[in-house]
Amino acid sequence: MQHKKIRVCWMYHNIMDLYGDKGNMMVLSKRCENRGIECEIVPLDIGQEMDLTSFDLLFLGGGADREQVLLMEDLLKRKQQIAKAMEQGAFIVLICGGYQLFGQYYIAADGTKIEGLKFFDYYTEAGSNYQRCIGNIAISAQLDDITTTVIGFENHGGQTRNVSTPFGKVLSGYGNNQSEHMEGFYNGQVLGTYLHGPLFPKNPEIADFVIYKCLKKQNPELKYTDLTKLDDSLEQQAREVMLKRMNLTV
Amino acid sequence: MKIPILMITKLLSFLLGKLGRGGSFPGQVALRLNKHIFQCFRYTCPVIIVTGTNGKTSTSNLIADLFMHSGKRVINNRKGDNLKEGIATAFIHAAKLNGRISADAMVLEVDELNIPYIMNHVKVSTLVVTNFFRDQLDRSQEMEQLIQKIERAAASFDGTLILNGNDPNVVRIKDHAPHAQVLYFGADRCTASAETTQEASEGKFCPRCNHPLTYSFYQYSHIGSFHCTDCDFCTPQLTVCAQAIDIKQGSFQYDKHSFHAPVPSLYAIYNCMAVIGIAKLYDIPYELCDKAFRLAKQPAGRNETFYRQGIAYTLNLVKNPTGANEVLKTIELDQSDKALMIVLNDHAQDGTDVSWIYDAQFERVLQLSTQKIICSGTRAYDMALRIKYADYPGEIIVITDEKQALDELYRLRMRSYVIATYTALAPVRALMRKDESDAA
Repeated sequence: MQHKKIRVCWMYHNIMDLYGDKGNMMVLSKRCENRGIECEIVPLDIGQEMDLTSFDLLFLGGGADREQVLLMEDLLKRKQQIAKAMEQGAFIVLICGGYQLFGQYYIAADGTKIEGLKFFDYYTEAGSNYQRCIGNIAISAQLDDITTTVIGFENHGGQTRNVSTPFGKVLSGYGNNQSEHMEGFYNGQVLGTYLHGPLFPKNPEIADFVIYKCLKKQNPELKYTDLTKLDDSLEQQAREVMLKRMNLTV
Repeated sequence: MKIPILMITKLLSFLLGKLGRGGSFPGQVALRLNKHIFQCFRYTCPVIIVTGTNGKTSTSNLIADLFMHSGKRVINNRKGDNLKEGIATAFIHAAKLNGRISADAMVLEVDELNIPYIMNHVKVSTLVVTNFFRDQLDRSQEMEQLIQKIERAAASFDGTLILNGNDPNVVRIKDHAPHAQVLYFGADRCTASAETTQEASEGKFCPRCNHPLTYSFYQYSHIGSFHCTDCDFCTPQLTVCAQAIDIKQGSFQYDKHSFHAPVPSLYAIYNCMAVIGIAKLYDIPYELCDKAFRLAKQPAGRNETFYRQGIAYTLNLVKNPTGANEVLKTIELDQSDKALMIVLNDHAQDGTDVSWIYDAQFERVLQLSTQKIICSGTRAYDMALRIKYADYPGEIIVITDEKQALDELYRLRMRSYVIATYTALAPVRALMRKDESDAA
């Protein structure tokens, strides 16, 4: 491989870290290190000056309603930069709250409306009867030409609708909302999902796909299969346990 | 209707007691038969309820002990049946057939989500709030919503609030309880205090004006001396404050009296300060507080050591990141060669969402002297991945079955620490007790 370094911006690392999302950063970092790829993770705080266009990956996790309201002002100020980073081919991973904020708007449990970044058409409203979607979830996801089963845990009151290109089809659990059986958003460059647990440890294929996308920004010829294989036996066993529990085949 | 329900459920409570079974079944039945069952009880004694994320059981038991040491008759739900069914059971057990409860005080541990119900149905005199940490989000929803529920429940409360003055999430309750008296407890800066923290996940913003909070010092997690960067929200004047703290000894002073916490740690000292707050409010001599602390029986599986063939195996319960961090800090102090066994279950009482293991600082115990780690329980592999991605250099062994895992631990013949989540604690403890006596 020609390029041996990826730069990750961990946006609002200390606020949008409600469900162990830091585990995703640990996995990215370790899986890069094991392949001799340098992985620089730069945390971003509210109000901190940062050139977002210099990153290969922007990562935004989930937060509580109140925290999301508080950081929205700061996030809106960075909208131009995020758009520019996307133009330049940066990959974006959004979990739960972060996923919601990239859409049109989000209506919180107490009725507060938070205007989103409006990059995409989807929007999120609190469930009508205030039923949260909580529990283990498995989806069949399509990432470019890779089809894989993704496992996680979801815990969200918000119901996301009008998703043009979902991340996957729900095999067990809820997903974007309680009626459509689809989960997340993926358009080839931005991956938004409700899956935490965190997402990457039990889904090494997704973690590797993100690493591949970051490297591909600098090296368009790169293929997913060019990544060195790692020993994922613990990961596979962790997946088997959960798939069996959801009555799904491995 | 009221006498037959009480009669039936009292009989049930009596029979279950004979069978050696506690539990909240009589209360469950009573609430099913009459959802206003709490109106059937007559009592004039003060009712003290204790809630918060951590320390509810220890604090409420210490308060009950305090009243008992001062010669009072106390009713409480000591076994930790802290949902409304469990509390109804405690009332049924204590009441005569006419609903009258004769006691000098009732001390009740109440689950946070059950506070609105209990505040509505029971004549509460004093509400003690220990702290609010991230805990079982799958059940408690987001903490902000939980605190708001408690604030709403306190809106018409005209008794006394005993609040942790070093927890911004607790201090804010007074803002919403205009009719209540308040007494704040807390602790002075000590050798365990720090200027910065890696642990705090809550308490970052002012609940009044949303500006960031800053801390002059942290005790643990987000407990500390805080003030808002914009408005006057801050750690209030502490009514009872622990001073001259010696963490190693667990000793501290208040109002020229010396005390020894049941466990040498800051969180235990905070529990003690809540108890001292009760002593001040109810005019009970402070000497009796220290007596309660010294005689306190450690709940099962809290830093409990078993011996087998001369080797020590210490068992600890972990329920949430903050509690886990306090346990991990104790293990971290032991630099000798050792093994670690972690039993992670994900049943309803453990929390079905295990992502909290990434908020707990397992890194603290992944030093070279921790030679092997055995992961067990229904989510053993999740735990193994947590350890793997924390860059642990030693050997990770996964054995889902807890008995087989313990047998493997014994084969290592090494000083060991066992950490178990809620539903794993009782079975693992039973095995360890049995193995200790079998080996003797």
